[in-house]
Amino acid sequence: MEFIQKKTIDRAVEFFLPKAAEGELSLVWDRYEGQLPECGFCETGLSCRDCLQGPCISHPFRDSSKQGVCGKDKNILAAQSLLRLVLKGTMVYLDQLNDFAYGIESKGVKPKNKEKTDQILKAIQSLIHHGGDQLKKEFPKSLMRRWEEAGIAPEGIARDLFKASQNLEGGMGGVEETLLWSFKASLLGGLAKRLYGNLKKSVFGDFIPTRVEVSLGVLKEDAPNLLIYGYVSPILKRKIAEEAKKKGAHVAGVCTDPLIPPFCFPQVTNYGSQEIPIMTGAVDLIVVGNEWVNPSLTRIAKEWEVPILLSEGLKRGKDPNQWARQIVEKAKKSFDFRRNIARDIPEPTEVAVMGFSREQVDPKKVMAALNKGQVNGIVILSGSNNVKYTQDHELLTMAQEFLKNDLLCISNGQASVALAKYGLLNPAQREKHCNKIFSEILSSLGKDIPSILDFGSGDTVDFLFEIAKAGKKEMRSLPMVAVFPEAHRSSEVTEAMWTVAMGISTYFWPALPVTGSQQTMEALTTFCFEKFGSKLNITTDKKIDARTKASLVLKALKGEEGFGLSGKPWK
Amino acid sequence: MKILVVDKNKCTGCHQCELWCGTEIASVSKELYQAIREEPHPIPRVYVEGKDFALQCRHCEEAPCIEACPNGTMRRDPETGLVYVNEPTCIACWMCVMVCPFGIINPSASMKVAIKCDRCRHMGYPICAEVCPTQAIKLEERKDYRTKAF
Repeated sequence: MEFIQKKTIDRAVEFFLPKAAEGELSLVWDRYEGQLPECGFCETGLSCRDCLQGPCISHPFRDSSKQGVCGKDKNILAAQSLLRLVLKGTMVYLDQLNDFAYGIESKGVKPKNKEKTDQILKAIQSLIHHGGDQLKKEFPKSLMRRWEEAGIAPEGIARDLFKASQNLEGGMGGVEETLLWSFKASLLGGLAKRLYGNLKKSVFGDFIPTRVEVSLGVLKEDAPNLLIYGYVSPILKRKIAEEAKKKGAHVAGVCTDPLIPPFCFPQVTNYGSQEIPIMTGAVDLIVVGNEWVNPSLTRIAKEWEVPILLSEGLKRGKDPNQWARQIVEKAKKSFDFRRNIARDIPEPTEVAVMGFSREQVDPKKVMAALNKGQVNGIVILSGSNNVKYTQDHELLTMAQEFLKNDLLCISNGQASVALAKYGLLNPAQREKHCNKIFSEILSSLGKDIPSILDFGSGDTVDFLFEIAKAGKKEMRSLPMVAVFPEAHRSSEVTEAMWTVAMGISTYFWPALPVTGSQQTMEALTTFCFEKFGSKLNITTDKKIDARTKASLVLKALKGEEGFGLSGKPWK
Repeated sequence: MKILVVDKNKCTGCHQCELWCGTEIASVSKELYQAIREEPHPIPRVYVEGKDFALQCRHCEEAPCIEACPNGTMRRDPETGLVYVNEPTCIACWMCVMVCPFGIINPSASMKVAIKCDRCRHMGYPICAEVCPTQAIKLEERKDYRTKAF
């Protein structure tokens, strides 16, 4: 089955595609074509392989095979497909938090604020066993009450996650019950991300907006390039950065947190094109974590003789100092060994200001701008890349459409890196992407504000709560939406779920594996709206372009009357 | 004449052929997400018999369905030799359904026509063969077992 599409809009990445084709190197796009057509039952959530009597399907076109062996019908199958993803995604945030806490407890780093760090470590313990009583107090009371009414208020990692996972083992839970368990599990992920952000602040110091270089051009021609791929413990990352600074190595990152104060890791590229940096020939050593990293790197790295070190594993180095020394040493040796390999680095780089927090952007000013109608709404851009779409195209086009309509755009994680590549996080280019009046409004919100604000780990939600507090309103009554234009990972599904539970309507692309069941699809909109005042919108139309998607979001923000929060009509 | 050959040893019973035939051939929208919700349900022209055999019309040389059809609705394409239903003239008498030795003709109660595989005669390549992940369904030249002398 032939499938033709433009692979990426990133010119630096596009430059390497013909080279890969000449060398008969299969990249992510080629492998995707090899997978087509993907299993329709799995895609629509109508399959189950939770037990060994299956795998089972619910056949959409036949009167027979409507139920699995155990009797799960299409509605339950779809709801459970979502739960399975959410559980896996929640584990990502819990693992990162646990990993960080473990590093601090084993004295891998000296925290800047010892007292606060101890408090957060205690809060983590409390989250494991009791659902974090202190944490619950940090959420608005009305939201907490709503969660308690729905039965999804966190009661502890141990209890919630174990119980939620047992829904997949059997039982009589219907669609709504299963969805509520998904929300409950996702909230734990949300809490873990928030705790991770707070812990990072207390250990490394408060976030300050930092200039980060982005694009393939950040690789150095004449120094060892050490690349960190995926999630690697922040403690190890800092040690590597310290060691590399001493030894004259250059450290950059792909799909990894760019800011570990006082260090910042230039971002070479984002998720969809993670194989490309190796093809420049300028990468001397790769340190990989598990999350975000594609196994395909092994084969490409072998082609360019790049050694790969695993930061995670059963036999990992326990002492981060020694481990970091070894890593940097190996990078230098590899640089010497690889001297005869040509380096082909595209020159231009882009500057991005990342790591805003509520201290730098005044929530009261944002609320005032919303009330005056100077800002028509707030959009959170999240997610990464999905090979089903032209890399970055959906995200960039939608962001541009939102900026044209005077919406305050907030991004985080990989979405920020993707947008940074096109200058949307560069304050100097603000006027290029926004009209003059909106640009002035943005600049009045704080110092050095780019068109799109990148918030550090877990700070997005805090900022939104502050805005709601400033306006003395609930989040659900504010013109806010979250958009995932090119999502692919289970942790992004978890993020979408907790965003909905917090009262922010969310748009998610591609369609989640629930489209096989009309009831589950409706539950994600009508049932969620009853419970949380927000919806998880999934579009089943595959053929709509990014502008149409943006207009869907804009229409939802405007409301039927076409008026914003200010009551003034949109221009 | 080319026919669809099914290798029983390769068929895993994954039902992908049914799903994509239902979407590509039988549905109005031609999109999986929408086809699932169409009423009446699209009827795939292929079905997986038992656990591991995808079965569709064999386009018999001596087709009983053509013989049984009272008004010439069931026809053979003179160029390709493929047997197909001329839907506008079908009177839903279900004679073809009764005589088919493979039981592959579907009586569509809602549309009042007999529905069967025409081996995607208007498409470049049959969809079931194209989507089969193990290549259990293949398009091959029909082997002539009978000699001319016989």
